[in-house]
Amino acid sequence: MKFALKILKDFPSYLWSGWGAVASILLFIALWDVGNQVYGDLVLPSPLETFKTLVLMLHDDAVIAEIETTLYRASMGFGFSLILGSALGLLAGFFATASMMSRPIVTILVGMPPIAWIVLAMIWFGMGDETVIFTVIVASFPIIFVGALQGTRTLDGELKEMAESFNFPWHMRFFDVYFPHIFSYVFPAWVSGLGMAWKIVIMAELLATSNGIGASLAVARSQLDTPTALSIVVIMIASLMFIEYIILEPIKREVELWRD
Amino acid sequence: MKHEEEKPQILHATNHYLYYPDEEGVPSYLAYGFRPIFLLLAPYLVISMILWGFVWSGVLNIPFMDNILIWHVYEMLFGILTAGILAFLTTGLPELFPGFVPLIGKKLRNVVILWVLGRVSFWFIDVTGVYVAAFFNLAMLGYLIWFARPAVLDKLQRHASLGYTMVAIFIIEAWFFAAMAGLAQTDPMDILKLALGSHIILILLALRRVNMEAVNELMEDKGIDDVYVSRPPLTNLAVFTIGLFSIVEFLYPANSALGWLGLAAGASVLAITNDYILKDKFILNQPYVIYLSLIYVLIAAGYALMGWAILDNKIENVSHFRHFITSGGYGLAYLMVMIIIGWIHTGRHLTSNIYTHLMVGLIVIATLMRGLIPFFEQHAQTLYLLSSIIWAVPFIIYAKVFFGFLMAPRADGIKG
Repeated sequence: MKFALKILKDFPSYLWSGWGAVASILLFIALWDVGNQVYGDLVLPSPLETFKTLVLMLHDDAVIAEIETTLYRASMGFGFSLILGSALGLLAGFFATASMMSRPIVTILVGMPPIAWIVLAMIWFGMGDETVIFTVIVASFPIIFVGALQGTRTLDGELKEMAESFNFPWHMRFFDVYFPHIFSYVFPAWVSGLGMAWKIVIMAELLATSNGIGASLAVARSQLDTPTALSIVVIMIASLMFIEYIILEPIKREVELWRD
Repeated sequence: MKHEEEKPQILHATNHYLYYPDEEGVPSYLAYGFRPIFLLLAPYLVISMILWGFVWSGVLNIPFMDNILIWHVYEMLFGILTAGILAFLTTGLPELFPGFVPLIGKKLRNVVILWVLGRVSFWFIDVTGVYVAAFFNLAMLGYLIWFARPAVLDKLQRHASLGYTMVAIFIIEAWFFAAMAGLAQTDPMDILKLALGSHIILILLALRRVNMEAVNELMEDKGIDDVYVSRPPLTNLAVFTIGLFSIVEFLYPANSALGWLGLAAGASVLAITNDYILKDKFILNQPYVIYLSLIYVLIAAGYALMGWAILDNKIENVSHFRHFITSGGYGLAYLMVMIIIGWIHTGRHLTSNIYTHLMVGLIVIATLMRGLIPFFEQHAQTLYLLSSIIWAVPFIIYAKVFFGFLMAPRADGIKG
């Protein structure tokens, strides 16, 4: 409760600190506008035109339905990775042998390009939700797994001993000693896992499905409809930035303070 | 109670008075650089502003100038800026560079006379000609750059940015006079817009120093245990975006990229106000913090609105919105420097009262009236006149509150 209140209290100043970032994004948009003037509307539509298309698209029910499909796939995939990755990672962290054994496997999972996974998934599951969800899981699972593993591996032995010698009840031991530390590792991993999930879902959709915003992007490409393509990109970036920087980052900052 | 006992302590901003020159018989109004300037600047602003108000609303005609708008802008920028720089440098440099001997007495009087000559040559430009005005005004700015040379030559380059910006402003002013005399083909108005950008950059750089002194002085005074640091990266980002905006505006005044740059400049200026959010203490309720942050808010609003007008294809509104920067941020920056120096450097504590609230509030109201004319076109004439009158009132109040201080020796008995 106190934790949530502190985040809320710091939220306005956190939000206000974003003006510098807003300025640099606007500078980038100015550069984009210059690109439009140099290369023409077909290659690079102007930012203003893109934003106008975007507004039109957001008033279109068909587009909203595509976004919902994508959201469903991303959240299913991410949800699985979150539960599976956190649980297995935490568990593996408690046993030195398990963490030693799991590292090379994680390295393989991380090292394998997502595009290769998509090909395999298309063979295994065909063209549909499963392929996309599977690809999202394999892409974001290792990130979350490693975060959770490090959370339990780095638990301070002396703190553990102290908790034992003071004879803390189990709930205090968990909520005041272990949880803050583990959470300070797991939560940032969730944030990066989510970012990964959101990027992969679009790519998988573009290659393997006929609906979702990834597929809309493929359609826009085949019709040379650059304003729509750019609008979709803007939707993707804006939604990710909103979730990451407006919702999760304030929590992450607070949580990371617990590490020391 | 402890707080009460600390009151009579020597102010933080007095260390540099150790190097005060021992000239005999210096009258109080020449005892430090800012004194004569503020004594002249306040009435000058009042009179000229009201006169311009009458001119723009059509009540008054000035037949002696053929290009009123351009000269109006010139005078409001350069005429006032040189006075502002003189006050800022003569007060600030001895503080920034310990051992620097303050400019006082006869020497100070001569410099002030040079500034006055610049004003006279300006108002009688149809009689005396562009060259005379150019000579006096450029000489004034040139002298100031010469005066500020320790800032540029400083090995650590801590305040060199001020010097370089002044050199840039000098070049722009010379270019302007060349254009007015027919020696250069550039549109003088474009040069003036460029000049405004450079002035705002100088103001931001100067304000960073003023802020550090004023806000920390204030916190020390009120027993707020925290340190205010104005971080250079934020100011530098704003300097960069404003510089970019000004240059692009000069080259492509109606380009849509300029619109985005305007929005970027607005956001980057607003970002500077983050410095006021301290780690431990809350100071946003302090009147001086509110006053000073309003300068940034007004400048940011000006750039953002100009950007919006360009993107919205309403170029004609740009010059109205520019008044958020000029009447608003620029005017308030001068007023704040006059108020802060008026308190601290006459040996007093930084005080806020009904007069300071009123002065700042009136500037903001006048700015809103002038800057929002595009939304109330039908009342444009009234708004031109009223806004200039309301804008002038704070400087009348200033004269009432501060002229006594400026004419008398320092309250704490220190020389200066």
